[in-house]
Amino acid sequence: MILCKSLLTPVQPYRIATLLAGLLTSLSAVGFELAVSNERSDEVLIHDERGKVLRTLFRCERPRDLHYSGETNSLWIACAEQNQVVRVSVEDGEILQTITGLDGASTLAMNEENLLVVSNERASTASVIELPEGKLLATLPTGYEPDGVAISVDHKRIFVASENAGLVHVFSTQDYSEEAKILTNLRPRGLAIAESELWVSTEMGSRVEIFDIQTLKKVDEIIFAPRGLRSEQLTPVDIIFSTDTRFAYVALGAANHIAIIDRQTREILKYILVGRRAWGLALSPNEDRLYVLNGLSDDMTIIDLDSRRPVASVRTGLVPRAVEVLQ
Amino acid sequence: MTKLKIALLSLLLAGAVQAESLHLTIVSTPQQREDLTSFSGIVVEERRALERAIQLALDEAKLKFDLYGIEPQLKTIEIDTAQPIEQQLSDLDANHLLLLDLPANLLKTAANYADKLGAVAINTSASEQSLRSDLCLSGVYHAIPSDRMYFDALAQFLVHSGWLKVLLVHGSSERDMERKTILAESIERFGGSISDERIFTLSHHPDDRDRNKPEFLTGRSSYDVVAVIDSELDFGRRIQFSTRRPRPVVGDVGLVPKAWHYALERYGAPQLNERYRNLGSTESSARLAMTDREFAAWASVKFVANSLNPTHLTGDGLNLRSLFEDKESRVDLYKGTRGSFRYWNHQMRQPILLATENYVSDIAPMPKFLHPTHYTDTLGEDQPESTCQHTLR
Repeated sequence: MILCKSLLTPVQPYRIATLLAGLLTSLSAVGFELAVSNERSDEVLIHDERGKVLRTLFRCERPRDLHYSGETNSLWIACAEQNQVVRVSVEDGEILQTITGLDGASTLAMNEENLLVVSNERASTASVIELPEGKLLATLPTGYEPDGVAISVDHKRIFVASENAGLVHVFSTQDYSEEAKILTNLRPRGLAIAESELWVSTEMGSRVEIFDIQTLKKVDEIIFAPRGLRSEQLTPVDIIFSTDTRFAYVALGAANHIAIIDRQTREILKYILVGRRAWGLALSPNEDRLYVLNGLSDDMTIIDLDSRRPVASVRTGLVPRAVEVLQ
Repeated sequence: MTKLKIALLSLLLAGAVQAESLHLTIVSTPQQREDLTSFSGIVVEERRALERAIQLALDEAKLKFDLYGIEPQLKTIEIDTAQPIEQQLSDLDANHLLLLDLPANLLKTAANYADKLGAVAINTSASEQSLRSDLCLSGVYHAIPSDRMYFDALAQFLVHSGWLKVLLVHGSSERDMERKTILAESIERFGGSISDERIFTLSHHPDDRDRNKPEFLTGRSSYDVVAVIDSELDFGRRIQFSTRRPRPVVGDVGLVPKAWHYALERYGAPQLNERYRNLGSTESSARLAMTDREFAAWASVKFVANSLNPTHLTGDGLNLRSLFEDKESRVDLYKGTRGSFRYWNHQMRQPILLATENYVSDIAPMPKFLHPTHYTDTLGEDQPESTCQHTLR
């Protein structure tokens, strides 16, 4: 539009060059898109990589976790109040698949062996579903308020955190029996696996606990203490790792910060101030940016990971919960 | 054959964790378990027995208690107030966790007795500030917020809102006088002021009639907000929407400081409220929620479940005192931050909700009221002010 206008009016050649250069930069910037679920405004919005809202992809009641499927360019969405998980086309938001009977569908985990695990908050269970058909393989009983789910890298174990019971259930993928319960600090939320370690964020324990994935024994814990905050205000939720597992990123909830951690030494490298109640996290495809969802300020903070500084805060819907890169 | 194997295996496993009893005993009176009514029989405050809330806590704690082989046993002793209380508690011993749902005077006697036994007794029901200093006993804890905690929360809210000038309207009972003094101190401590104080009397005597009119009680003064103290929740109800000036009403009516509320929308509270409503099918309205006393009882049992670790299990079973004295012990309160007992006066620290009848307006501590060590310790008596000075073990 600007380009057309400029061409209609006589301009100096250098101005056209500048305009073209600007256009090219902006084109190259639009490398990927993000999907953000918003629990309270019942919508999944698509943002460009700089955070601008492009369109509404899908609407359902209380969308929570998201999982992108690259093969089919579609997005799995847990619609908690509708007790279902849907897969929609990223192109046009059309529903491609619906899995029902998931009471309070909350968090999703998927592996390469076509296993989908969904925690059902209201039913106190987790459902194991075989893809692509969407066949229910097992319903795993858990303590109250199951949230974080994870599947081990060797596909042999499923982990489900019960917030209320303060433990992580360990199930076998062979016969779906419960192998063990791992006692954690207060209110385990996010689970993440890197190499031989299971990381568990304990929201009311103000720490991340690290367990050996084989022995299930606790090997270490990371206690957060950014300056000026009291321990009780530190409520970690989402944990993600860089692909090379060198770094861990943890959203610190009500502390309004995220933490960057050296995964091997477990040293906290930096705290970065973000918006209110940081939960959802995602990394850009080349991992130079971190996207942080702030559930109480209804916005998303974009952090440049080279300089480790926030570069922008952009609006989302109401109570954003999960962010997923669509690439 | 397979069944037999499983049975043997579970027997072996059971042998590994020896079953230990957790004796929970509610000590209450019939009056404590009935609704508070006005003189005409209108219910002004719902009161319920603590069993339902404790059942919920035990239900939530089951997975962890099973792992430790803890078997909870719940019983209730209803006190006959005409008889000496000690006699009625004579079956108890040091292994008991007592939940004292008693008015202040009976609570003192029961708590002293329990402490001598070596048991742990928790005050779930009396917010009297004086008990926090008078009952300075190593086995006695307070799970219900103190008057100071409730009023510090309210005072922070008023100052945060810029409602600095407060007209204080109160009853003349001993309890009202005690509470209004604490509220006035809280307001002044956080930077507000009392523009005037007015007393009402519960009477229809012609001499009192004019003086008791809400319009007169709230006239001839300049104020931002009216604070009402009426422990009986009777006369005070007349004041909201009848003030001489169009001003909000807080305190025992209007915006009220509470430990728990059915309309709390964050921190997992909706899930907890839903579980409470679904427990027992007898009574279930959408607004049914734990009263502050029930919340204190629920939080006490959850404190045990959340804090329990192998160091609290000795040869003789579960050592309750060591669990309560452990500085790492704490509880997930579903209010956004964990709770624990202040070591100096055994008061449970916790956020306080500021709620209307159907909405939680805010949660104290309010922003900018900061404590050097504990997030919630701007609410209630801090360590240097307390006359009760237990030491940190």
